[in-house]
Amino acid sequence: MNYSINEIKADLQYRFGDSADLTVRVFTLKSALKIQAAVITMEGLVDKEQLSQSVLNPLLTFDYGTRDAAAVSEVLFSSVMASSDVIKLNSADEIVTYITSGFAVLMADGAEELYAVGVQGYSFRGVSEPESEVVQRGSREGFTEPLRVNMSLIRRRMKTPDLKFEQMTVGSDSKTQLMLCYLQSQVSPDLLGKLKNRLNACDLETVLASGYLSDYLEDNGSGSLFSGVGISERPDTVCGKLTEGRIAVIVDGTPAVMIVPHLFVEEFQGVDDYSNRTYYAAFIRLMKYLSFFVSVFLPGLYVALAQFHPEYFPTWLLINTSESLAQTPFPVTIEVLAITVVYEIMKEAGLRIPKSLGHAVSIVGALVIGDSAVNAGIISASTLMVVATAAICGYVTSPLYPPIMMLRLMFIVVGGFTGLWGITLATAVVLIGMCAKTSLGVPYLSSLSPFSLRRMRDVFIRAGWKRLSKHTIRVQKFPETEVQDANRG
Amino acid sequence: MQTEVKFSSKRFLLSLLLCACSVILLQNNDLSSNASFTFNAVCIAAGLAVCFLFFLPSLALKKKTDSDVLSLARRYTPKLRIPLAVFYALYFVYTALYFLLPYIDMFHTKYFPEVTPCLITFIMLLGCAYAACKGVNVISRFGIFLFLFALLTNILMFGGSLSELDFSHYGFELQGDFNSFIQNTLYFVTPSFIAAIFACCSGVTKNFRFRQPVFTLIFTGLKYTAIVFFVWFALGDYAGRQTYPAFVLSRVAHFGPFAGIESFYLALATMSVFMIVALFLCCISRGACTDGDRKTVLIFTVIIFALYVTATYINSVKEILVNPVLLILLTFVAAVMLPAAYIFVGRKSNATGN
Repeated sequence: MNYSINEIKADLQYRFGDSADLTVRVFTLKSALKIQAAVITMEGLVDKEQLSQSVLNPLLTFDYGTRDAAAVSEVLFSSVMASSDVIKLNSADEIVTYITSGFAVLMADGAEELYAVGVQGYSFRGVSEPESEVVQRGSREGFTEPLRVNMSLIRRRMKTPDLKFEQMTVGSDSKTQLMLCYLQSQVSPDLLGKLKNRLNACDLETVLASGYLSDYLEDNGSGSLFSGVGISERPDTVCGKLTEGRIAVIVDGTPAVMIVPHLFVEEFQGVDDYSNRTYYAAFIRLMKYLSFFVSVFLPGLYVALAQFHPEYFPTWLLINTSESLAQTPFPVTIEVLAITVVYEIMKEAGLRIPKSLGHAVSIVGALVIGDSAVNAGIISASTLMVVATAAICGYVTSPLYPPIMMLRLMFIVVGGFTGLWGITLATAVVLIGMCAKTSLGVPYLSSLSPFSLRRMRDVFIRAGWKRLSKHTIRVQKFPETEVQDANRG
Repeated sequence: MQTEVKFSSKRFLLSLLLCACSVILLQNNDLSSNASFTFNAVCIAAGLAVCFLFFLPSLALKKKTDSDVLSLARRYTPKLRIPLAVFYALYFVYTALYFLLPYIDMFHTKYFPEVTPCLITFIMLLGCAYAACKGVNVISRFGIFLFLFALLTNILMFGGSLSELDFSHYGFELQGDFNSFIQNTLYFVTPSFIAAIFACCSGVTKNFRFRQPVFTLIFTGLKYTAIVFFVWFALGDYAGRQTYPAFVLSRVAHFGPFAGIESFYLALATMSVFMIVALFLCCISRGACTDGDRKTVLIFTVIIFALYVTATYINSVKEILVNPVLLILLTFVAAVMLPAAYIFVGRKSNATGN
């Protein structure tokens, strides 16, 4: 099919509704036949200097002689374009995708080919240390928003041809690009196929962040408290996961890279664990598990004991606690619930207010909520201490904060109404839910249940590198995994 | 939810071990007071030997066909499938109530007298129904956590009772009469209900070895012996005057000023009964339809609750529901006769080439 500049221009203007940032620049080439060429770009998405050096200057200075449109188009691709990133488009429909991604589309009037030249030049945040995953020893680089930059961060760490990036597009309106990233020799084709099917089934119109897609990657929808999709902003973490046969999904415009399958025990593993000495890494891991349990259960147990089983408190603690609780007007369940909710409100406010006001809010929170409320006899000191301890422990495993928060509230309510019995039963129900959960066919509680002694080397403790490096355990090799392992046997 | 994935038979038997151990946790002065500790130990061995005999047909079935009674009924005798499913459903409803009634009674009388027993049962059954909807595999995964918790509780219970042991009043002589032997042995045959669960669910497991149920019964016996030993020598005469001696043992256990192990004990009993009832509902669901069928599970949960309410108000119903002889008879049919019949049916079908 021969493309006409006027037709393409009219079509684009119709599609973009005469949008001000659509730029179609038409030139007459130095040619005996006075052939016309057009460069189509979106303003603000291209680097103007790069555009003029690698596209406009060569285009206008080259002498095309008596070549016709087809020959001009051919010579544009083979000799004229100074950029290494030139892609031949399959149809005119692809123009929109490329120009909105910062490419310049080049065409000769009446030719059969369209070319996209990579001249992206939009402004973006530089590579910096991710605030959510700070490490003591290890790389300070974190993912950023542009897809290509994130790809380069992974490629720099995995200099193997085994590493593969596969491009997909999601969102019928946003046409968001994403990359599936995996090691060909490690990944299960079954797992990859499953993931692609789910992404292809995504019917969203707009995808602005990776979080939009996580529901589509979950096995049981979004009903579970825990997430079967891991998130990381660190390229070193992602590379580590890739070696275990996992797949990373990098979404353009977001620094949070999704990793599937994702298991519960991974929430307690950090980059520092693998840099620190083994004994210290093991100690930190155990502290993380302990913090998780304290954060989830402590307020609920406190309420249950204070309300139904005060005899379990040691005598001195019982006297102090009862004195403290007797001075407050509310039942202990209401008190704990109220402080927990107030704390959550303060946390949300702290996240959203300008940093300069943060200190003021902290002071108000600590003094008003903490000290004054206790002095005024509205809340008891022991209750405040319990809620504060649980809140602090919740941040030790920050990716688990949402489920921790929900479980904590649930156990407070259950403990307040039914005591320790209710907490026991609720724990059983939550455990059943967790045992039933899978992440792309891999049981979410893998290593613990189904139990695997071999995989315990990196669960509660981290074995030494000499032992860890002997054999990498790929995720599809976990027991009771539904995906087949077609590689290596 | 992974209902199609076959899982390790070892893990399934671990779950059954936990179910079997709950019998002794809910012990309600069922043992004869004329019998000595050693005599009871002999009764435990005899009772569990009978349990092993109950296990044999379903073990043979599993070994020969790698399947269970319900799957074979579907394959070889489609006409008998419904009566068989109905029998197993009734049997498991009966057994669920057999465990629920003493558990709720103990919970209500010993621990939480303010609460309405029916409400506790209702909440408990809702939890069990949720677990049953997830399937046998998921319940057996939960069993790993329960096993760890049981281990901790037992260490606390026995470790905390060590200081209370007194061998001066009671010796290790073999003392007891024939009636006591029959009564106590019958009590220790109760865990044979796990053979019926095995007969219904073993088709979903893999890597089965004959030694696995043997070890299960040996560990059950050890647990029973330990409880009886501590009840006998740590509580002495006091145990005879108490209902639920295992509960009293947990109450007596302490580590210096740290007491209150009965909360661990009750948590263990709660989780064990939770798992037993959930497994029963799973078996019913497997008989009626497929593993984890919600509709079937919900219907039978309602039936169990209705029967529980009836039993709490009509004493004669309760007496039938907690009758150990009836339980053993029904278990004999469910775990011995029907699997044995299907060994025969399977052999005949293989011979005729069907």
